[in-house]
Formats: sequence, structure tokens, C-alpha cells
Amino acid sequence: MNRIALLLLTLAMTAPLFAKEELVTLPERDSVQLTIYNSEDCTLVSEKRSLSFKQGNNRLQFSWANTLIDPTSVEFAPVGKDAQDALEVLDISYPAESSEMLIWTVACTKPGGYTVEISYFTSGISWSAEYTGQVNPAESAMDLTAYVTVTNRSGEEYEDAEVRLVVGVIHLVERIVDLARPRYPAPAPAPPEAPMDKAEMRKMARGASPEKSGGGMARPKEIQKAGLSEYYIYSIEGTETIPDGWSKRLRSFEIKDVPLKTVYRLEPDKFGPYFTKVLEFKNDDKHKLGKEPLPDGLVRLYKKMGDGRLGYMGAIFSKYIPKNEEVKVNVGPDAECTMSEKRMSLKKKDLTFNQWSNLVGWTTVEEFETEVKNFRDRDVEIEIHRTMAGKFEFDSDDAWEKHDADTQKIHFTLKAGESRKLKFKVTTKFGENAK
Amino acid sequence: MNKRLIFSLAGAALVASVVGISQPDTAEARIKLATLPDKEAVVVRFDHPNQVLVEEERTISLQKGLNTVDYSWAGTNIDKGSIVFRAVDVNSKVEILSTSYPPGEAALTWSISSPDARSEKFRLSYLMANIQRETDYRAIVSNDEKSLTFRHYFKIRNWSGGTFDSADFITRDGKTFEKGLDQGEAKRVLVNKWEKVSLTKEYVYDQYRSSEGKVMTDYVLKNTKEMGLGAIPLEYGKVRIYQDDGKGTTAFTGEDWGQFTPIGDDMRLNIGIAQDIKVELKKMVNDVENRRGNVYDTNEVDEYEIKNFKDSEAELILVLRVQGEWEMQKDSEGYTSYERIDNETIKFKVKCPAKGTPIKLKFHYKRLNNW
Repeated sequence: MNRIALLLLTLAMTAPLFAKEELVTLPERDSVQLTIYNSEDCTLVSEKRSLSFKQGNNRLQFSWANTLIDPTSVEFAPVGKDAQDALEVLDISYPAESSEMLIWTVACTKPGGYTVEISYFTSGISWSAEYTGQVNPAESAMDLTAYVTVTNRSGEEYEDAEVRLVVGVIHLVERIVDLARPRYPAPAPAPPEAPMDKAEMRKMARGASPEKSGGGMARPKEIQKAGLSEYYIYSIEGTETIPDGWSKRLRSFEIKDVPLKTVYRLEPDKFGPYFTKVLEFKNDDKHKLGKEPLPDGLVRLYKKMGDGRLGYMGAIFSKYIPKNEEVKVNVGPDAECTMSEKRMSLKKKDLTFNQWSNLVGWTTVEEFETEVKNFRDRDVEIEIHRTMAGKFEFDSDDAWEKHDADTQKIHFTLKAGESRKLKFKVTTKFGENAK
Repeated sequence: MNKRLIFSLAGAALVASVVGISQPDTAEARIKLATLPDKEAVVVRFDHPNQVLVEEERTISLQKGLNTVDYSWAGTNIDKGSIVFRAVDVNSKVEILSTSYPPGEAALTWSISSPDARSEKFRLSYLMANIQRETDYRAIVSNDEKSLTFRHYFKIRNWSGGTFDSADFITRDGKTFEKGLDQGEAKRVLVNKWEKVSLTKEYVYDQYRSSEGKVMTDYVLKNTKEMGLGAIPLEYGKVRIYQDDGKGTTAFTGEDWGQFTPIGDDMRLNIGIAQDIKVELKKMVNDVENRRGNVYDTNEVDEYEIKNFKDSEAELILVLRVQGEWEMQKDSEGYTSYERIDNETIKFKVKCPAKGTPIKLKFHYKRLNNW
């Protein structure tokens, strides 16, 4: 549904606004480009229209009732040198009776037809990334497919739009959706549209070229990726029509056999308090990736069960992954590889008293035993992070290493069906003993 | 030519899908049902502990060029984000170009490009909510309580809104059974049966499990091949226990929740209270000693008097707990063995003579450096 209208008006020179205006043309959009940001509810719409201008002042009305356009962002720009030489915006009026309309007064020195670009920000159009990984039975590789889904809830339908998606975090000082709201009571909302005929909806759902190219074999659209400053821009090949309220999902890339590593981890600061299974890969050449950062999005993992069938492994929201960054997908605790820790002993020593015989310092010696059991029929990698508090000394015959001031870590491989006990001693000083 | 093809899954979704072909621009308003693709395979998988994955296959007649396939699932609980749609033939030349989602509808539309007119088999996978699963077990224990027959049941209840005429249901351990399942219907299926599974019976006194100090009767099953199990990890589920009464019938002797038991681990099942074994606790010594300022030790002797009124000797396991820093003293006595499970827990084994002859366990310990 098109709610944005552009009218070219003629008027009597001295009449008050709207008093004697008359509709001259209702120019259609020649083309439209959407640049959609995923970090903010913000889309830059640039549309081109061909208009005829008469010598002298031309009044151009632009209205956007029931859409989510930021009125402060609407810009008018002639396209091409001829148009730029001939056209000049003299003023912009925002009529009192409508918060969703403006009128440009454009001076024209050479009458004729010109292309103009009208751009504005709108909220209500968003895009998101999604990933589907199909993991092989050995969990050593996966087929990774990335998708982008564009959703239009802006109130406006942009037909045959060039779509560009921006990966990155932009800075806005005010939200577009707030700017789009009228600053004073708006007229009663228009009655809802009659439901669209289903066949019409399906027609609208069909993409533009190359999908609608008819009898020839079409292929999934290319999504070109290019860096720009701190951002990445995904440009979808051809044009898209996404009616108001609809979403459309397109394949961004598909890569077979991305090498994968499975590590069971206890890392509370990253993966929560549980011993959990983590699938790992890197966004780099070695993993057949690394051509661009991976935008944040939901990763769904399925396991290949043979004969093309799938089993569900889990889903996790992944943050933005720069090029060459490691990706660790936590698929949750696995009852077939378990870990438990027990405190086997506690002793207190070096009790220190003050002159009034009150205890002011002591030291505890605690012995712990961590047992890791692998019930699976294949070897697994294990990494455990153990955090201590206070002034402590850590002692173990196992190959623990310092991760940070409070944390020790150990990494090892546990063979199929085996278990391993890790023993360590923590000596902690309290009170005066810790000084 | 740009053909449209409607593939809808509406209402009683999983049995009522229809495919229609029409020409898009000249005949939008008169979509006709042209073919009705049969579901060639429906698989319902329970691999994931919380999610149910449904897979179905459909052969769809495609025209050369662009085809639009509509899929809707009104009234069912399909997670639309989870839908994976692909040709079964991995070398298929058919391309799925995009997926569109209409507003406010449980539906989507695929744009599919085909190099020629053909019938192509597709597989559709999705997560479906409200298909409940439950595992339960039935154990028939031999009269001598040395072994049991262990039956493993898998129960499904379908509240998903869909109906399954015939589907392969696959349990987490890969067991497959074929059933039909209507909306609201439940089915319970025997998926495994193990005979002559070895069983250990234990009498356990543990104040954490019974605050009244009663003795619990436990059966312990080891999930290993040597003990007659070990084929699969045992899912969490209720275990109902019956015992062969030696007269050709069985008697119900109790039930417990069996915890998830990986291969190699133990499943411990409490069948009830052993009323013929009584334990009485007396604190015989409770002294404060070795005061240093506000720090002190305690010297404590706990005496457990145990009477076994059965006709035969029994072994009792006492699981006792002491908090903080403590040491057992050498004059503790009355046990056959003990094991310090962790700093706070010690496990004694005590031989209890038959017919009510009392036996005493003396547990002497010092709690150190209290303040």
C-alpha cells in the first residue's frame, strides 16, 4: 500500500496556502533504494521521481500519512547537472493542519522535465541475520548457511526497491520512531485497510528480478558485501518488493564443510555455571570463511542423522563476529559428558590472635577433586576454568595454568568412555594473614 | 512460464496438505487444486531433550522457471524460524530462491526455480511445540531380589494441533516405532526390554534423605553391559517396581524417579522404608576443648544403635555428615569399612546380625577451629 504521495501543485501567487492550488501530476517513483541499519530502527529511503517544472516557482507537496517517516529528515535534491542548475529549493512549509506533509517551493529557471531525489529516514523496516548449521555426525564439520531477513512494518510498500543492509553500530541522538510521531494530537487514524486478496498478497510476495524473470532457470540472488568505514554493506542483487507487514528471507551465503571443533567447557564467565558443550570455528580462510564479518543473529544447529535427515541440536544468539575472530556456539550441557567437583578436605591453620585473644587471621587449606566422565563413544576435548577468591595459592600435580589473577585453567583430551580425576589444593589467607 | 503452486498445511495440518497449480496473472482468482502430494515419510524425532523435530517428505510437481509454493500451518504449533526446506536429492538442480512471510499468518511462501518441468521430492524439517514425551519403566524383580526384567516405555501426547496418520517416532536413543497419532491422543510404546539385569539391594540410613532417621531400601542398577544394561543412556522417568512373589504373580513394591543415567553410571531407586531395621542415635560426648581466645575445638561421640529384626544378616550403609573442619578419631568402631565421600560426608558399612541383636557404631570425631 502506497501511502507516500508526491503532488506537484500550481497556485495563485498571493493566495493563502491551499486556497487555490490545483493538482497537476502525481509522479510515480522511478526507483527507490533502501539502506537498512540493523543496530537501530532506521532506514534511509532514497527515491527518484521524474517531474515537470514550469518557469518560476513550483510548489511540491510531499505527504506520508500513517507511515513512520521522520519529517526532519526529508530532503529534496535535483539529480544531474542540468537539474541542479535549473532547480533551487526556496523554502519548505510544514502545514499546521497536517503533521505528515510538507510543501517545497522550488524555483525553476529553465522549464522542463527533471529527475529529483527525495530521501528520508523511516523506522519500521529492519533486517536481521540468521544462520543454519548442519553438523556432521562426528561433529567435525558443518554446512553453514547464512540468511538475511528483511521485515517491513513501516506502513509503506516500496516496490522494486534496491536493498542495502548495513552491518555495524551507528550513533543516533534521537530515535527515528520518536521523530516520526506527531508532536501534537494527530487526527483520528484511518480505518484499517480491507484485507488484501490472498492471491494479490502472493503476487506481492514474489520477488523482483531475477526471480521474476519467467521461464529461465533463476538462481538465488547474490548478496555483495563491501566494507565502508566501520561498517559493512550488503547489497542484494536486483530489486525487492516487500509489502507492509511482510518479511522476506534471502540466502546470504552457503559454505560446505566448515571445520568444527567440539570442546566441553566450564567457563562460568562466558558460558554460565554449567559444564557445557561448545562447537567452535573461526571466521577465517582456514574455515572457508573470513570474507566478511558475520552480523549478529540466531544460529540454529542441526545434526545430520544420515540419509539427509536432521536432528535438532540447539539455537543460540551469536554476537557480531569480526573477520578472523573465533566463534564458540554453546549448545548446552550434555549428559553424556559430565563434570563434578567435590571438596575432599578442609583444614584451618596459622590462627592469629590479637592482644585480646580474638582471632584476627587464619589460613584455610582445601583439597578438591574434579571428576570428568566421558560416556560418549569418541574422544572429547575438555577445558575447565576454576576461579578462586581472596588471597590464595593454587597447587596441583595436573597441568593447570594461570588464566588470570583469580582463575586457573586446564585443557586436555579425554578418551571415549574414560574418566579423569583432577586434584588440586587451594590455600587461602584471611584477615591479618592476608595482609 | 511463471507457475504458482499452493502447498498448504492447514487445520489438521499434517494430514490435510494440498497442492494447487495455477497461472499467476491470468488466473489468480481461480486457483485450482491440481495435485495432492502424498506425504511419503513423516519422522518425529526426540533427539533434543526439550524440542521435537518433525520431518516430512513431499513430492511437488514443478514447472520450468519460477514456482511459488505456499506453506501454511494454521492451528498448529510450528516454529517458523526453524523450518528447513530442501530437495531430498543433494544434487538437485532445483533452487530455493527466497522465503516470504505474510503478516499475521502462520504461513510462508517459497520461490523455487526449476530448470525444467519435473517432480521433485522435498524434505521439510521444523520444530513443533506441544508434543509431550515421557519415559517410564517397569521393573519385575526376581523373588530373590538378585535380578530384574526392565521394560522401557516411551509415551507421547500430541497437543500440537496436527495429526499424524502414520509417522516414525524416533526416541533419543534412536529407537524407531511407527504409529498414527491424532490431536489430543497419547500413546505409550514399549521400546526396550532387558532380561536378567543384575540388581544390588542396599539399606541406607541418611539423614539428608529421611529426617526421621528411617532406613531406606534402594535398588541399584548399573547401566553396563556386564550387568545386563549398557545399551543406551537411561532417560529420566518413573520406575514402577514389582516383585515376583514366587507364586506366578507379582506384587507392587514401590516406585521412584529414575535419574538420567549415562552408560556406565548407576541408577539408584528407592522402593520404600525398611521397617525391620531400626537405627537410634545418641550423642554420648559433646565437649568443648582446646580454647584459644574465641577459637575452640569440640570432641563428639555419636553412637548409633542398630537392630535388624530380619531373619538374616543385613548390611546397613550409614551416610553421615559433619560440617566444617573435622577429623575422625581412631577409636571409632563397629563398622566393616568406611569411605570419606567428601569433606562433609562419610559412609560407613555395618554388618547387622539377624533377629534384633543390637550392634553399635561408635563415630568419634573432633570438629576443629570453630569460632
